[in-house]
Amino acid sequence: MRVLNLPLDAAMPFLNHGSYRIRYEIDGPANAPTYVLVNGLTQYAELWTAYRDALVAREFRVATFDLLGQGASDKPALFIRQDDQVAALHLLIGKLGDGPVFLSGISFGGLIALRYAIAHGKRLAGLVPMSCFAELPPQLLLLGNALRTGLILGGTSYLQDLLLPMNLSDQWLKPLLDRLDSVKRQGWLVNDVYALQNLMESFLDFEPLTPLLPSIAVPTMILNGEFDFLTPRALHETLRVQIPNSSLVIIPRAYHAFTLEKPALTADLLACFAQDVLAGNWQGDKAVWIAPEEAGGTLAPFPAGYDHLRAIPVQGVTP
Amino acid sequence: MSAFFGPLDPERRVPPRQQTRIAAFLISAHGALARQYAFALPAKLDSAWQTEMNAQVFRETEIVSLLLRATSWVPDLALGYMGACWEAAWLPAPVEAIPDPALATAAGLATLAHAVHAGIRPAALLPVDANANDPFVMALRRIEFESGRLLQAQILLLKGADLAPFRDAVSATLERRHTEIGKLWGDALAGIGITTVPAE
Repeated sequence: MRVLNLPLDAAMPFLNHGSYRIRYEIDGPANAPTYVLVNGLTQYAELWTAYRDALVAREFRVATFDLLGQGASDKPALFIRQDDQVAALHLLIGKLGDGPVFLSGISFGGLIALRYAIAHGKRLAGLVPMSCFAELPPQLLLLGNALRTGLILGGTSYLQDLLLPMNLSDQWLKPLLDRLDSVKRQGWLVNDVYALQNLMESFLDFEPLTPLLPSIAVPTMILNGEFDFLTPRALHETLRVQIPNSSLVIIPRAYHAFTLEKPALTADLLACFAQDVLAGNWQGDKAVWIAPEEAGGTLAPFPAGYDHLRAIPVQGVTP
Repeated sequence: MSAFFGPLDPERRVPPRQQTRIAAFLISAHGALARQYAFALPAKLDSAWQTEMNAQVFRETEIVSLLLRATSWVPDLALGYMGACWEAAWLPAPVEAIPDPALATAAGLATLAHAVHAGIRPAALLPVDANANDPFVMALRRIEFESGRLLQAQILLLKGADLAPFRDAVSATLERRHTEIGKLWGDALAGIGITTVPAE
């Protein structure tokens, strides 16, 4: 038993993974295609509420959950293996019956989604990694180490102080500047230092997933914010190049945490992707697209001849 | 029942009865850690890691001193029985699967300290409008912040190479300690109108 410092709905359902419990929620019509959404490292399931509402309104079912170590799920005291996160996700997807399942995750959650697609890809109808990575190049490794040190020395609040300006735009932050504490409070309440540290330290024995990415056969839409410097374009390019039936979609003016900043647009992209796949219209072709500024717009192809890995309009090099 | 302290008084301070119960629990827990670390601390340090043990002794003592002075104390008849239960729970419990008695004792103490530093979050009980300039409020925030730092010594030992051969036993002991102490904390809070939800 574990005692939590937050009020919980007594009817909240849990999955059992060994001695640990995973809190989950499933909403929407029972026989509809399902989106399963996987949290980022410092997140919790309620942050997908806007997605649940938007996707259910478009006749999808939506499954959300707290990863081991997050929110209302159990928080293993000493070690949290990424394999256990994949196993927990597999339990949740096992609850969904035989209908089509689309899996999406942001950042750390995107990595868990990639791992799931590698291990259990046949169960998926589609995959949407967002602000994601398959390897830890020096910049990301060192940033991760620095964020872990920040957590250790300054606690969850300081980690949030680092992540907010790194991952969100001025436009999103400016109106919230005088009440940032209230923005941070729920994440601070439901996430514990030791559990976040365990999640971060699950990377200590991390092996790159890149050699395994070609085994992902499902349609895959990779979403990357235009200004994401925590997981920049090159990391998403690895996914685009290695996953056969994939496309890369660049979200204009977006940072790493665009799922928080642009929920209407992102939910629309998720819904359109799933509808295209289900209708047999999806063609990955390893294409590069630019998302519209607002929900309901259309994708535009990245201008031919220019290098989508550069921040200035440089002519691309034909391989 | 509420998830937070309250109702706050007109100066947005935590009610004295809640202050007393929380402070008594924390003094009992951190006082026990201070005593056990002081007992384990050699007069002459032999290893670099023992510098951390020295720090733990004095930071735990600081927490006790802080709470003694920052709390608005009132009589609480339940503290006699509860205090006895708490003190019994803190008694040294070496990890049985470790054959080296010194290492088993150190691991046992580290599991207790981990459960206290990681699992007890008194500042998370403060409502948004608690008076940030009140000494008790400041004390709880400081204790939770310092606990996150103190915890690192326990993490280093419990995840370290010395205990790697006993990882399963250490993990099981640690989870059990978290459960025990979480229950004591939940019971202490339940008596002062604060609810925590047991996730069995």
